[in-house]
Amino acid sequence: MTDGGAWEGNWKARLQERVRGLGFTSLTAFAEARPTASLVALAEELGKDDVAGIQVCMGLLAEAEQRKQLARFERDMLVRELSRCIPNGWPAVLEDPYRFPVAKALSLWIGDIPEARQERARRVMMTLLTNPPPPGWLPQGPDDELLRMLLPDEEA
Amino acid sequence: MGVRAGTVLGVAMLFTGCASLPAPPVAGARSVVQSRSDGRPGALAGARASVARDVQQRGILTRHAVLGAVDQVQGSGAAAANGLSKLAASTSGIGGANRIFSRHVAYGSAQLPWLQNALANSRALADATAGIGDADMDLAILRMAGPRLQAAMFGTILLATWVDFLSLADVVLQRFHFYSVETLFADMNRVQQLMAPSLAALASQDPDQVEVVATAMPDLMGKLTLEFSSIREGVRVATVRGGQAMAAAQLVEMLTMLSAMKMSLARLPPPPAAPVALGPSLVMGSGGVMMGSQVVVSAEWVEMVRRLVQSGVVSLPAISAAVRIHAGQVMMAQANGDLPQGVRDALGDSPEVRGMRETGKAGAGMSEAPKHHVLPEEHRAWFEERGFRGAMNIDQFCVRLEQAHHQAIHGGGNWRLGRTSPGEWNRKIMDTLRDAETAVRRMLTRNEILEIVADNMKNYRIPMSFVPGRRR
Repeated sequence: MTDGGAWEGNWKARLQERVRGLGFTSLTAFAEARPTASLVALAEELGKDDVAGIQVCMGLLAEAEQRKQLARFERDMLVRELSRCIPNGWPAVLEDPYRFPVAKALSLWIGDIPEARQERARRVMMTLLTNPPPPGWLPQGPDDELLRMLLPDEEA
Repeated sequence: MGVRAGTVLGVAMLFTGCASLPAPPVAGARSVVQSRSDGRPGALAGARASVARDVQQRGILTRHAVLGAVDQVQGSGAAAANGLSKLAASTSGIGGANRIFSRHVAYGSAQLPWLQNALANSRALADATAGIGDADMDLAILRMAGPRLQAAMFGTILLATWVDFLSLADVVLQRFHFYSVETLFADMNRVQQLMAPSLAALASQDPDQVEVVATAMPDLMGKLTLEFSSIREGVRVATVRGGQAMAAAQLVEMLTMLSAMKMSLARLPPPPAAPVALGPSLVMGSGGVMMGSQVVVSAEWVEMVRRLVQSGVVSLPAISAAVRIHAGQVMMAQANGDLPQGVRDALGDSPEVRGMRETGKAGAGMSEAPKHHVLPEEHRAWFEERGFRGAMNIDQFCVRLEQAHHQAIHGGGNWRLGRTSPGEWNRKIMDTLRDAETAVRRMLTRNEILEIVADNMKNYRIPMSFVPGRRR
């Protein structure tokens, strides 16, 4: 059973400390080494009892803002949600019962990203649903070609 | 000569009837964890998948245990209800005497609606877990059935006991006229008052109140046993004085022979000459929990209950109390509340189970923490439309959160990180659910909503442990 331990003390410092303890210079570097792991899995690796997935998400977002890599952050989050919700890849048929896991991945993904960018994310969701990727598609990281087309780096 | 309160089997019948559980249809359940087609999951993912399968399997077995327990309690409740309706229809005995005892019969009948409601809700909750794609949520909902099931279990024991007292009164009124009606009336009032606080607490189905009553039940059953034998002794003495020694001698036999009698009271304690503390001690044997050569509760019952205890649906102290009532060890309440370790182990005792209680209860200070609706209250109608009604209404899905945690989730306190301020929980959860409906092009089902909510709860590390909350 989990508890409120994740929110006690200075959790931002705790997060950084654990990341460094594992030999990474940043949370982003730590996450990049596990590109398809879920936020909850990342959090568990950083602290079985005192780190929450949402904290990892917020930490990654903060670093992405500093690096001006927000689109990359969004691709990264989408990879993780898809890996978790549709581990067998994009379904060949987008109807029940195969449509809900896709819907779940996409809606949870929208929740991961900053509000100001959610409208754009909703358009990406609709694009994916109306022009579905090939069956079995499951991006393995933020550099996936299709993802880069949908969510290109703005800085580039 | 001392009067022995006959061998009493009712309680054992309450729970231990032949409960063979149907084999759980594991294959029919929806798989939470799909294996990867490319076969690259690696050891960690493999281990995780196996853990998830175990949890899922546990959910299915627990669901069957809940349904099995509901069936059993329902069976005993039906027997009590049957006894009540016969007594209520009677025009002689308890139905005679100017009907002054009808209030006592009515008091018993008044318990039936809440007992039926508690059982129906337990069943509804167990049924609701079929097809939820999140094993932790599955177990959390089964645990919601726990207090209701426990309330019904112990409420049924008390009701059956009350029916025994009514039957005693019925026999006395029909056959033993030397015992005054006024005395009997006072006796019945006294017994009713003894039971009433516990029955009222059970009827509330409030988890904390139910737990308190359950653990105190052996003691109460001890008091009721003494009441029963003292009334009977009074009747016997009055009958002897009235010159009907033969009738008096038949009293005990008559009470136990009466077919309507489902005597649920425990044996009387040993006479004062015998060593005080101990009857034969309880041991776990192949046939179940044994006391000497007698089976106290069957192995099937132990198996069913172990699942319920290990999954946190019912508490070990409550179940221990039930076993002690079965065994008739009601008078040992003060001496030793615990069962022998071997029996406790069989009933599912483990450090994990004890830890579960610590976390869930006042031990962690959580019972003081304020409750919060996980499914936003201002959208009650939206959730009702999607099946959150009855036993599954959104007020059942509250969690207790410490202040720091709560502030974090609602966007205050130490939540902010850099310039980022994610939306507060309610808006976030509703946005996600609406986005999911857009994507799926229809209303979400209740199970789908629970799946999404479970994901968010895990992400925020909100404990998957629900308590009923108030409607604002």
